Amino acid sequence: MADVEMKPADSKPKDDSKKDEKKTEPESKPSPPSPVAEIKSNIALIERAVATLEPRFTHRVLRTLAGLRKRTDATVLRTAIEEVYTKDTPEKKTLLSWIPEVSAADQAMEVDTAATPAKPTTVSEPVPEGEIYLRLLILHYLETSPATYAKALALAQETIEKMQALNRRSMDPIAAKIWFAVERAFELGGELADARPLFLAAQRTASLRHDDETQASLINRLLRNYLHYNLYDQADKLVSKTTFPTSAGNPQFARYHYYLGRIKAVQLNYSEAHTNLQQAIRRAPQPKTAPGFYQAVHKIFIVVELLMGEIPERSLFRHPVLEKALVAYFDIVKAVRTGSLSQFQTTLSKHSAQFEADKTYTLIVRLRQNVIKTGIRRLSLSYSRISLRDICLKLHLDSEEDAEYIVGKAIRDGVIEGRIVHEKGWMECATQKDGYGPEVSDVFARRIGFCLELHNESVKAMRYPLNAHRKELAAAEGAREREKELAKEIQSTDLDDDLGGDL
Amino acid sequence: MAAHQLKTLYDDLLRSFNSRPSDLKRCGTLLAQLKLGLIETGLLLPQGELNLEDLVVARDILEIGAFWSIRTQDVPSFDRYFSQLQTFYTDYSSVLPPSKREYPIRGLNLIRLLTQNRIADFHTTLESLPLPADEIADNPFISHPVNLERWLMEGSYSKVWNAREEAPSEEYKFFVDSLMGTIRNEIASCEETAYESLPLKDAATLLFFTNQSQLLTFAQQRGWQVNLTAGTLTFARKGEEQMEIPKQKLIAASLAYARELEQIV
Repeated sequence: MADVEMKPADSKPKDDSKKDEKKTEPESKPSPPSPVAEIKSNIALIERAVATLEPRFTHRVLRTLAGLRKRTDATVLRTAIEEVYTKDTPEKKTLLSWIPEVSAADQAMEVDTAATPAKPTTVSEPVPEGEIYLRLLILHYLETSPATYAKALALAQETIEKMQALNRRSMDPIAAKIWFAVERAFELGGELADARPLFLAAQRTASLRHDDETQASLINRLLRNYLHYNLYDQADKLVSKTTFPTSAGNPQFARYHYYLGRIKAVQLNYSEAHTNLQQAIRRAPQPKTAPGFYQAVHKIFIVVELLMGEIPERSLFRHPVLEKALVAYFDIVKAVRTGSLSQFQTTLSKHSAQFEADKTYTLIVRLRQNVIKTGIRRLSLSYSRISLRDICLKLHLDSEEDAEYIVGKAIRDGVIEGRIVHEKGWMECATQKDGYGPEVSDVFARRIGFCLELHNESVKAMRYPLNAHRKELAAAEGAREREKELAKEIQSTDLDDDLGGDL
Repeated sequence: MAAHQLKTLYDDLLRSFNSRPSDLKRCGTLLAQLKLGLIETGLLLPQGELNLEDLVVARDILEIGAFWSIRTQDVPSFDRYFSQLQTFYTDYSSVLPPSKREYPIRGLNLIRLLTQNRIADFHTTLESLPLPADEIADNPFISHPVNLERWLMEGSYSKVWNAREEAPSEEYKFFVDSLMGTIRNEIASCEETAYESLPLKDAATLLFFTNQSQLLTFAQQRGWQVNLTAGTLTFARKGEEQMEIPKQKLIAASLAYARELEQIV
């Protein structure tokens, strides 16, 4: 489930991720069952989920989607459909019609082999959820090659209609995935903007029906859609008008936080952006399974951290997944750390194409003032008195006049402690404050708060199997029964004893 | 209102707007009539498929309206015209031929946000511009507000001051004055914390005042002590204020911890 969910924002890391996954797959799964068998067992699981009203089974099926998606092709799908649908129903025909033709010989052979095992097992027709699941697989298959993008789009539209006509609650988890595939179809077809009204309408319906999973998925779809076109205003309004369902899964939450973080960063609300991005990183799946997302979040995370005046940890840039992707950002961090404006400018122009692609360019441009601030702070630490002229030279500022204003602003903003003596043209730096004060307790309180929340969250996240307490109850009942009997026996023996005594 | 009537009004508006100096009063009455006409023909907030030429005319009218609002110094009205124009600039950008007034108006909007100190909105708007980042520097109408913002944030106030003459179009100058007011207050608050005292002459240069009487009234407003004989300004020292221990907060926090711990144990 993880890497389907975590489709990265840009295409380059995506390619990396695919390569990575392919490498790791054979090790982790030594003998995977044949895709056809897996699809069949999945359909059976979905049926069980519908019959027992237990969405857990559906979730289990959807978890295998990522692996399965890579192993499906036209023949696999065709065989699976042939085997699942024994009778010639209209559903079967429409499903088959969506799969591109394979070469005749291949097909004939496949149909032959498919016909034999299907006969003896007289399975009943699959539930609509099963059909939608098959459609999902076909959609993902069609999205793998550019030739079938148009077809994918058509199938996406038909599937949505079908899904909305059926209107079954047991279908919700699959529906959430369908929306994801639908968005991808629109994007690949180059009509992402056209999908917006569709998503908005569906989002409204989903929230009316308390269909949390679809809602979560759709809110993320919409946010991504807005951010793709840089419509931060609209995205912000959407966020303020909707409540993200708390029961949504971790991958959805991770993305939601990522989008929120990007919106907040653009609005200069860095501390909130920082918390959101941190949440996104924590909730994201393992870096190895979804490297694209991991890299994308870290890129913006580093920039936000710099904007807050903090320097990201060096170990971050040595992380195997991040190392290559973050080279440009590492250079920027170095420039900010040394407080050298010229180095910052050269790095910025050197990597501008990449920043542009990552949509972090405008954020990084804002760092200029941070570079100056860091420079001033470094000077104030190393000198007790320095002339404005020297500041100007050391920080490569344009004029002494500018330096005076900039230092004045830095003092007012609390970047440094000190004052300017205008007549003599120098800056006097005050001694540093001691490290004890209310801010220490604030930081401490924040950490304690985080730990407590973590504890509470994990208590909430614990799952208990339904009706499991019955067994215990029965056991307790039995124990009580036994106790009673024992008591009775004792009583009777007592009585006997008494009687005996009397006798 | 019939279409031909709208046309004559539009021609009239163009004439009075393009004449030098523009007939602002006449423009105002014409604009009001034209807007009514646009509403009747459904062009003010266009929806669906409409005649392209009509749309271009509607956009021209609104653009002139936006400029007119700036010239008559009516910022809320500019705001309204700008939001009406948004539809034309974003939703119809693929069908309509680009307007040469688009970027001046977008730039004006950016400056307006800057003067109102709405920095977050400024960045959101900047982000949603249909321009790649490296072209921003080449577009004089956009690069002007962008540079202003950067200098303001850095504290290079003298650059902002010098840039007021470099406004790319007439209308930008309207905002310059209010921007200067903002800067002056910024500088003043910096000086209060960064200096103990300043010679009057230097204070005047720092605050971009040309004569002393302006400076004196300004100093009075901010409550600075002026020593005329020595010719110095002394800023009210905010004495080493005693750090108050936030008792309430600490107690509340401790109680909260106690409650949480009780739940855990």
